Amino acid sequence: MNFAPVDWAIVVGYLVATVAIGLIGKRYVGTVSHYLVAGRELGLYVGIATLAATEIGTITFMYNGEFGYRYGFAAFAPALISGLVMIFVGRTGFVIRRFRDLELMTVPEYFEVRYSRGLRIVTGVLVAVGGILNMGVFLRIEGQFLTIVSGIDSRHLVGVMTVILLLELVYTVLGGMVSVVITDFLQYVLLSVATILVSIYAVTFAGWDNMVSKVTTVMGDGGFSPIANPKFGITFLVWQTLLWLSLHTCWQTTAMRVFSAKSAETSKRVMTWTGFIFLGRGMLPMLWGIAALTLYGTGALQGGVPQPVVDGQTLAPIDAMPAMLADILGPGVRGVVVAGMLAATMSVNSSYLLGWSAVISQDVVMPVRQALGKGALGSRAQIFVNRIANLFVSLFLLFWGLYYKPPGAVYLYLNITGTIFLAGAFVCVVGGLYWRRSNVLGGYVAMLSGAAGAIVPFFFLRWDENVTGFAAFGLALCGLVVGSLLGRQSSAERGER
Amino acid sequence: MNLWLIFWTLMLVVAGGSFAAITLVVSVRGVRDVRQWFASLSRQDPDQ
Repeated sequence: MNFAPVDWAIVVGYLVATVAIGLIGKRYVGTVSHYLVAGRELGLYVGIATLAATEIGTITFMYNGEFGYRYGFAAFAPALISGLVMIFVGRTGFVIRRFRDLELMTVPEYFEVRYSRGLRIVTGVLVAVGGILNMGVFLRIEGQFLTIVSGIDSRHLVGVMTVILLLELVYTVLGGMVSVVITDFLQYVLLSVATILVSIYAVTFAGWDNMVSKVTTVMGDGGFSPIANPKFGITFLVWQTLLWLSLHTCWQTTAMRVFSAKSAETSKRVMTWTGFIFLGRGMLPMLWGIAALTLYGTGALQGGVPQPVVDGQTLAPIDAMPAMLADILGPGVRGVVVAGMLAATMSVNSSYLLGWSAVISQDVVMPVRQALGKGALGSRAQIFVNRIANLFVSLFLLFWGLYYKPPGAVYLYLNITGTIFLAGAFVCVVGGLYWRRSNVLGGYVAMLSGAAGAIVPFFFLRWDENVTGFAAFGLALCGLVVGSLLGRQSSAERGER
Repeated sequence: MNLWLIFWTLMLVVAGGSFAAITLVVSVRGVRDVRQWFASLSRQDPDQ
């Protein structure tokens, strides 16, 4: 066991405080708008905190750490793209300004406003499937992190996963977005302190010169240049730019923060400043991965990179970073860092649980009811359906997390599962907002071809991730253009804009 | 390679610096935001 009593005290204190604060949110939930978009009253600073906390989890630290371990400094390229694209979206208001003005609660809701109810349901199903598959690997990887750093026996991994899930479920189900935002604020502060602490420790222990030297020896030019690295290249950089453009505009959990802001102008400012945080969100954990490579990368080569060896035991590259933390952090600091990582874990998972369950309830269950001729549900009934969807998603996550192991780098698995719906959704949203000719047929073809372009090559043909991602966006774009040119616009579509 | 290393070192300094600075500002000013947000949620009619 790596934990001293003081570490346990810090972690348990954090958990109790979080759940207690999270439960306060229930008092403020009166309508479904409070439950899903925090009453659309979020200001700049709390907006930044909730958006950053939502997209920075232990899973983020783990996959970025792994990416740094495998690809050295060249791995910084997607982190840089993610931040710059977010700043661009914030500065220009690209997509998000119009989204906020429409007063939506979910991304697929836009498809009914602009296209049709049928397309909203199809999009809702794809968003839910892609999103839940994406989140499906979170629990296992977060559990791995916590067991390695704390020293809890790995046989208790399932127990650790279940406890994490139950704690975040308690306040998410009861207080919805209000609880999520309050806890996000606390969690953001804690996870940021942990991030800064770990970065200082990692560079101090590994040594900057040693890190540069190790990457040079192991990877040569490919460890620094994303163009020279065989895994990346121009195709990868273009795909990443498209992917991050779509993530920052159409990713349900990010979009919910846009919908929750006080005004379109506030949402733009939130996005701009969070863009700077996103630079550190990617690069700092990648740096930890490079430090882990420097300290432990002495094993047999796998994919051109030495496997990490810790205390004579060979680990997977993704486990090198937490093993390093267990090694270099002292008592007290380790407790703060683990509490910070738990904070990161809970902020992401609670937001994602709410995000995907909102899509299931608002964009699948409700529209299907309406299509069947049943009346609209009141606020209380909608909140109830959301809570049930939340429980359903949680159960699925436990099972998927236990049985599925992603092939290759986790970062790329997450990118591909996101692309299942993002390629089509992004193309349809941009087409719907900025291209007069886009119509329902084009929307259907774009959504389905984008999903097929991600699922078939990756899961069945085993193509490389960046070719798969590129193909999905290309197919979705062709689908929207060809479908829209072949199909007719309804009078509603012509009148909408 | 040297140019890339210089570039990534600069980016890392910008990333780390802005991460720490924004965290500090958000931690201090966010508390006021949370109070105002609670006040406006309390004013909203739960039946609307």
